[in-house]
Amino acid sequence: MKNIRRFIQALFLLFFLWLFLQTESKGANELGYPVKIFLDADPLIWLTTILASRSFYGTFILALTVIIVTAILGRVFCGWICPLGTLHHLAGKLKKRTVPIKIAGLYRIKYLVLIFILALAFLGVQLAGIFDPIALLIRSLSLAVYPMFSYALRSFFDGVYAWNIPFITVGSEFIYGFLKKTVLPFSQPFFLQGIIIGLIVFLILALNLREKRFWCKYLCPLGALLGLLSRYALLKRSVSEDCDGCGACLRSCQGGAGFPGGPGGTAMEKVKAWKSAECLMCLNCDDPCPKNAVSFGFSRKPASAALDLGKRRVLGSVLAGMVAAPLLRITPLAKVGVAEPTLIRPPGALAEEMFLKRCVKCGECMKVCITGGLQPTFLEAGLEGIWSPALVPRIGYCEYRCTLCGQVCPTGAIRKLNLEEKAATKIGLAMIDKGRCLPFAHNMSCIVCEEVCPTSPKAIWFEEVRLRDRKGREMLLKQPRVDLSLCVGCGICETKCPVLGRPAITVTNLGESRSKDNQLLL
Amino acid sequence: MKRRDFLKNAVMSGAALTLPLGMGPFLSLAAGAERPDLAVVRGASPARITGAAVNELGGMRRFVSRGDIVVVKPNIGWDRTPEYAANTNPVVVAEIVRLCYEAGAKKVKVFDHPVSDARRTYKQSGIADAAAAAGAQVSFIDERKLKDMAIKGQHLKTWPLYTEIVEADKIINVPIAKVHGIATLTLGMKNWMGIMGGWRGRIHQRIDESLVDLARFVKPSLIVLDAVRILVDNGPQGGSLADVRRLDTVIAGTDQVAVDAFGTTLFGMKPDTLGCVRIGHSTGLGNMNISKLRIKRIAI
Repeated sequence: MKNIRRFIQALFLLFFLWLFLQTESKGANELGYPVKIFLDADPLIWLTTILASRSFYGTFILALTVIIVTAILGRVFCGWICPLGTLHHLAGKLKKRTVPIKIAGLYRIKYLVLIFILALAFLGVQLAGIFDPIALLIRSLSLAVYPMFSYALRSFFDGVYAWNIPFITVGSEFIYGFLKKTVLPFSQPFFLQGIIIGLIVFLILALNLREKRFWCKYLCPLGALLGLLSRYALLKRSVSEDCDGCGACLRSCQGGAGFPGGPGGTAMEKVKAWKSAECLMCLNCDDPCPKNAVSFGFSRKPASAALDLGKRRVLGSVLAGMVAAPLLRITPLAKVGVAEPTLIRPPGALAEEMFLKRCVKCGECMKVCITGGLQPTFLEAGLEGIWSPALVPRIGYCEYRCTLCGQVCPTGAIRKLNLEEKAATKIGLAMIDKGRCLPFAHNMSCIVCEEVCPTSPKAIWFEEVRLRDRKGREMLLKQPRVDLSLCVGCGICETKCPVLGRPAITVTNLGESRSKDNQLLL
Repeated sequence: MKRRDFLKNAVMSGAALTLPLGMGPFLSLAAGAERPDLAVVRGASPARITGAAVNELGGMRRFVSRGDIVVVKPNIGWDRTPEYAANTNPVVVAEIVRLCYEAGAKKVKVFDHPVSDARRTYKQSGIADAAAAAGAQVSFIDERKLKDMAIKGQHLKTWPLYTEIVEADKIINVPIAKVHGIATLTLGMKNWMGIMGGWRGRIHQRIDESLVDLARFVKPSLIVLDAVRILVDNGPQGGSLADVRRLDTVIAGTDQVAVDAFGTTLFGMKPDTLGCVRIGHSTGLGNMNISKLRIKRIAI
């Protein structure tokens, strides 16, 4: 049984990673693969998004399936499917044996986190994505782990290439070419805050060294939600009278099912007090039992030991949510004209208020962004909007005919646009800094911005002006102007402006289609 | 003067000039002398007119030898589909690739350093698929192969260029004819921006001189200017079919200045209005006097 489970786990992890690798443009308009289905199948994201946005969205069949399966079979998602769970599983292998932490009720933390998240969602604040394992994993892979992986491999192969060792370099280039076609990104990704996001995920994985599946047992809010759903699961563990309380099953337990009551009690009591909500349905305990007393089967018998969270704790968690919601909102950033001007949201993003209620910070849009311009915010959108996507044109512009970010967004925070809609969507406006622009400030020829402007007719046009150079000779110069009614704010002018560092043309979110108020033109 | 009349005159005077040459002491060069400087072929099939234009110049065997590694450099600059005339016609590119192999080329490489995202430009332009189907090795720019090179031009001294260009045995430039903001038009010489690395937008400060320096450095064996569709406004990216004119023409030649000089006439301009043509002519890179060129015009 154990090997079957391992096989299934590996299969889902590989499927997840394969979909992750496919979250990249191949040049066509569509990706061609359902790259976001793990997020679609996530009931926590589904539930909190509905609660926070007070609206249904897109695909919910998969999330419902997971809910129903959990209600029947228990937390099989955690034990068999969840890619982060499998990674925890693997990380735990680094240590032969870990001793469970002897603090009673530590497992309650995840339920309290869940209640906190749900309370916030009920009050219209979507923070589930920060803690949700699928969103966390995709974000961490996209913004930190995958860029690291790419950087490490690239620098290795670049090194061998630069040394140009006979035979070896030919071989390494062959391997490099193969890797580029299969697992490496098209170009090296760079993300602001990649370091922080990377440190967080490595810390979470390192917790497995203290106790295996620490995250799953004590912290994961999705695990908590699935635990609640599995309270009355039909698939149950039963222990026959042959049990002599040797505790072999407890040592093999992946979840926290064997320690419902903490350190107290005899092994026999613990074995009997199996908790469905804490069981990951890994079926580990079936194998090592010397008496063959443990078995799993369907039964309608009333549930196992009750889940005792404590009224005060639950109330405390709800209250924390009620405090956090207004605390997050008392930022002037929500006021018209105060909002951070560099907060250029991707094309198709909903109006900011609704956007924040939908965005789960999974990082899919940033992963798929063809130029790498979509970056995680820090506090530009307030703490509530941390790690949500914003375009940083100096890093990468918004490709005029690309609509991938809307295609991969799991919650519709970024709408899926067709090419006509995309062409008509403004994400901001470009403006020229005459003090830095070559034809304005320095009487030099340039207008790269005009060349690269993708709209038709071009938003950037030029006026031919007669000027005199230093020696008084007359010269004809083309000076750029921005037609604000045509500019879509894609930022390619800023990206390609040869005035590096602080470009002579910059985009801000003023004029973005999604906002009713953040407008300039009559 | 209308463009058509202008062209007609150009052809006539060109033809008139060639006659005495053939009778002079150049008889031994007769085969060469009969060859036109430019072949301008018009017709409905982009592949056929491309083949015919190369044929008029003496066939691909004149330019490509057995075993050659050939770089065919189209314009794949922008994320646009072929009908928008922002990139070289994929059929023209594929036909050139095919002819190269037919002439015995060992390998034909096709690449460009696009302005828009390379994956999208390669795919959307149709060039990657068409060239690969013709057997070309289509690759994206490998940043490691952009190396500083001594161009030793008048204005461009050194610049990172793509090493595969200098390593090739033969180079064939396959640009498309379009209007362009700073350069007025983008034809053959402007296409060499696609082998540049670094912050190439900087060369806009002295675009014409820089392009001539580049063209002198690259020295293509053959230039095939795609005017199947030309972009007459909002260049070089276009984006509206209203700005596209269908000329169903390709122009082939070996003189970079002459090809571009002729290219200006497609837009009703005079060759010397284009800076790089004027400078290319005055510095001896080529000849912009269309009236002095032998131009073979055929329609098929």
